[in-house]
Amino acid sequence: MHGGDEVSAIVFDLGSHSCRSGYAGEDQPKSVFPSAVGSAESLGANTDKEAKKPGQAEVAKVRKLYAGVQALGYRRDHMEVLPAMKGGLVADWDVVESLWDHAFRDRLLIDPKEHPMLIAEPSFNTQQHREKMVELMFERYDVPALFLAKNAVLTSFASGRATSLVVDCGGGSVILGSVAAVHDGYVLQKAVVRSPIGGEVLTDCLQRTLEAKGIIIRPRFSFKRKEIRLGEYELIPLDPPNTTDSYYAYAQRAIVADIKESICRVPDSAFDDSSYANIPTTPYELPDGQIIEVGADRFKISDILFNPTIIQTIPGMENFSTEAGTTFYGLPQMVIESINKCDVDLRRELFNSVMLAGGTAAMHQMKERLEKDLMEEAPPAARVKVLASGNALERRFSVWIGGSILASMGSFQQMWFSKAEYEEHGPTYVQRKCP
Amino acid sequence: MEPAVLDSGSMYLKAGFASPDQDPSIILPTAMSRVEEEGGNGNSGVIGDITHPIKRGMIKDWDAMEDLWRYVFYTGLGWEPGNEGQLLVAEPLLTSKVSRERMVQTMFETFNVNGLYAVEQAVLSLYAVGRITGVAIDAGHGKIDIAPVWEGAVQHNAVKRFEIAGQDLTDLLAKELAQSQPDAKLDLAVVEMLKEKYATVSKDSSGYAATAEDCPSIEHTLPDGQVISIGREVYTVGEALLRPSILGVEEDGLAEQLLRSVSMCSPSENQRQLIENIVLCGGTSMMAGLDARLHKEAILLANPSVRPSLIKPPEYMPENTLINSAWMGGAILAKVVFPQNQHITKAEYDETGPPIVHRKCF
Repeated sequence: MHGGDEVSAIVFDLGSHSCRSGYAGEDQPKSVFPSAVGSAESLGANTDKEAKKPGQAEVAKVRKLYAGVQALGYRRDHMEVLPAMKGGLVADWDVVESLWDHAFRDRLLIDPKEHPMLIAEPSFNTQQHREKMVELMFERYDVPALFLAKNAVLTSFASGRATSLVVDCGGGSVILGSVAAVHDGYVLQKAVVRSPIGGEVLTDCLQRTLEAKGIIIRPRFSFKRKEIRLGEYELIPLDPPNTTDSYYAYAQRAIVADIKESICRVPDSAFDDSSYANIPTTPYELPDGQIIEVGADRFKISDILFNPTIIQTIPGMENFSTEAGTTFYGLPQMVIESINKCDVDLRRELFNSVMLAGGTAAMHQMKERLEKDLMEEAPPAARVKVLASGNALERRFSVWIGGSILASMGSFQQMWFSKAEYEEHGPTYVQRKCP
Repeated sequence: MEPAVLDSGSMYLKAGFASPDQDPSIILPTAMSRVEEEGGNGNSGVIGDITHPIKRGMIKDWDAMEDLWRYVFYTGLGWEPGNEGQLLVAEPLLTSKVSRERMVQTMFETFNVNGLYAVEQAVLSLYAVGRITGVAIDAGHGKIDIAPVWEGAVQHNAVKRFEIAGQDLTDLLAKELAQSQPDAKLDLAVVEMLKEKYATVSKDSSGYAATAEDCPSIEHTLPDGQVISIGREVYTVGEALLRPSILGVEEDGLAEQLLRSVSMCSPSENQRQLIENIVLCGGTSMMAGLDARLHKEAILLANPSVRPSLIKPPEYMPENTLINSAWMGGAILAKVVFPQNQHITKAEYDETGPPIVHRKCF
């Protein structure tokens, strides 16, 4: 249909917090939207969303999934919010399918049959998940070719390094994967260290802290402003019935996440209440007009990444670690642990190239603090260097950008896992083609 | 020869030579009727099936579109075959890569244009009012696009397409009139004319509720002699933009979509500047009272410290800049792009092929 040797592959990166997709060769994903869908059940063909009487429940229930910022932002009766991922791995394949549908048909406007797909997967993805993803792509979307690449590998591609220790601080969890490459970049599986403390945990902590101070966070749909006199406005709370708890919590969390992104900073040294007691507060305006002042908490929340025991001091979160049963390490300890699991020869080089990626890594002063803490903990002979791209957007999308680079390289084109190979060998072949 | 500017919309196609202080010289309805003898084209007055090659802003019928463009270039603009000029094309947002490449291919191979540059309509609308940063709300016949633009670059992530536009409002008006006056025979062209003449947006939502009780009813004489009276329907049509639940669509209204689109732009420091520079343009935006109402709703929804404001076109621009703002902006841009050789030349196209559009024009 069109000449030219452009492959126009699509790069798709599904994370716990957001889903990024776009064309290979571009420098930013064209479409970014939350990795959650709204799910509303309606009875049969009737799309009336009001609650029906129990006696009429004989009609088959149809579950409709709404993906994308626009659809998710509109408050619908009985709409629950379902996340796609749990613990960094795909939890609900229907949700993932609807996210893909939204990306392809509504945002990118492409026909998946015509574009090879490069999909970014977590570094610890299981064989079962990989096969299911491959199957879904080939059977449902009929893609001509695909490739599954690990997140850590893509991040180090984005920086142009073959060997590095990638610290991926994302929404759902913090994953450290070391990448040591001979040719194309392989992840050393035994050196992958994970921690469930990610951006979402920090948002929860911030939310509890604010609520404990008596600040009520009102989601946008729960109030309306009315002009009583010229220039003066009055806040009228609305309580639309049939709003599910999960939607309310989702909308609240979105606001708290914005607070976190705007004002939280990583402290220069370990946080303790006494030294930060007199720090000046920063104001933040909530959508309903309240202005809140956040002081020491800005630093306390970010320090959770470095010192997870702080979580237990936050009201409402005391049971966090005891529920999971394991103790959590801070970031510097995780880095040391991961490096120690690698070969002795590699360790020096890994210390020298610690890469930061992910949305949570875009916090101010994260790079400096990590470097400082690592220098203290590392063996004295090692030279520690932490790399992070200066631009916050690049840090957020570094996995996607790496995918974009990889898929547009000439030498990569022979590595695609094609539909013919899938039909001949089946989904288990993915293990051979995409190591 | 001056470069030409082309803006193909769902309802009207605007074309002309790039002279920024004037309106486009050609404003044609984007409608074709198939005639047996040759690929004819004409206005909707001709008998025969009328096809609209552009639906919801996207070109669906390429053959018909080619015929229409042929008419515009050779008959309308007066190009001579073999001596075609340079062209600046205004594209809607969310155009797929394939569609873009096809358009470029058609222009270079079928029409042999000398040079081409493709820009998104949102950016052009901002240029028409003299800005490079702001939110462009292009309310057209087939779609309404809300696009934040920061320093000339569209923030693709935050672009929102609102599926309710001029044609849906016309359908709504037709439905309402059919209900209130079942014996009046109205065809869509007449309803369209009524909508343009009378549709109004009430001052605020309580104003709309008040019209339920009491509303002045207007007597209108149609060209064929029938007299119909229009009452509340004109306000319903306007309200549907701000509260689509009237149309039965489950979406937030225009003001909420605007705010949501801006809030998707990062970093958040930019959002204030975006909200304070809103351009409301396009045919449907000419509805009486829409700008005031949108302004009001935006103030209510935005954070109290931010003052949303709509931009008015500068005095040196002609009267109805906002209707044809994408074309006007194109005329301004054409004066800059072509002399500086930033466009795609025929030689470059021949060497690289259609994908060059993604590299040279973004």
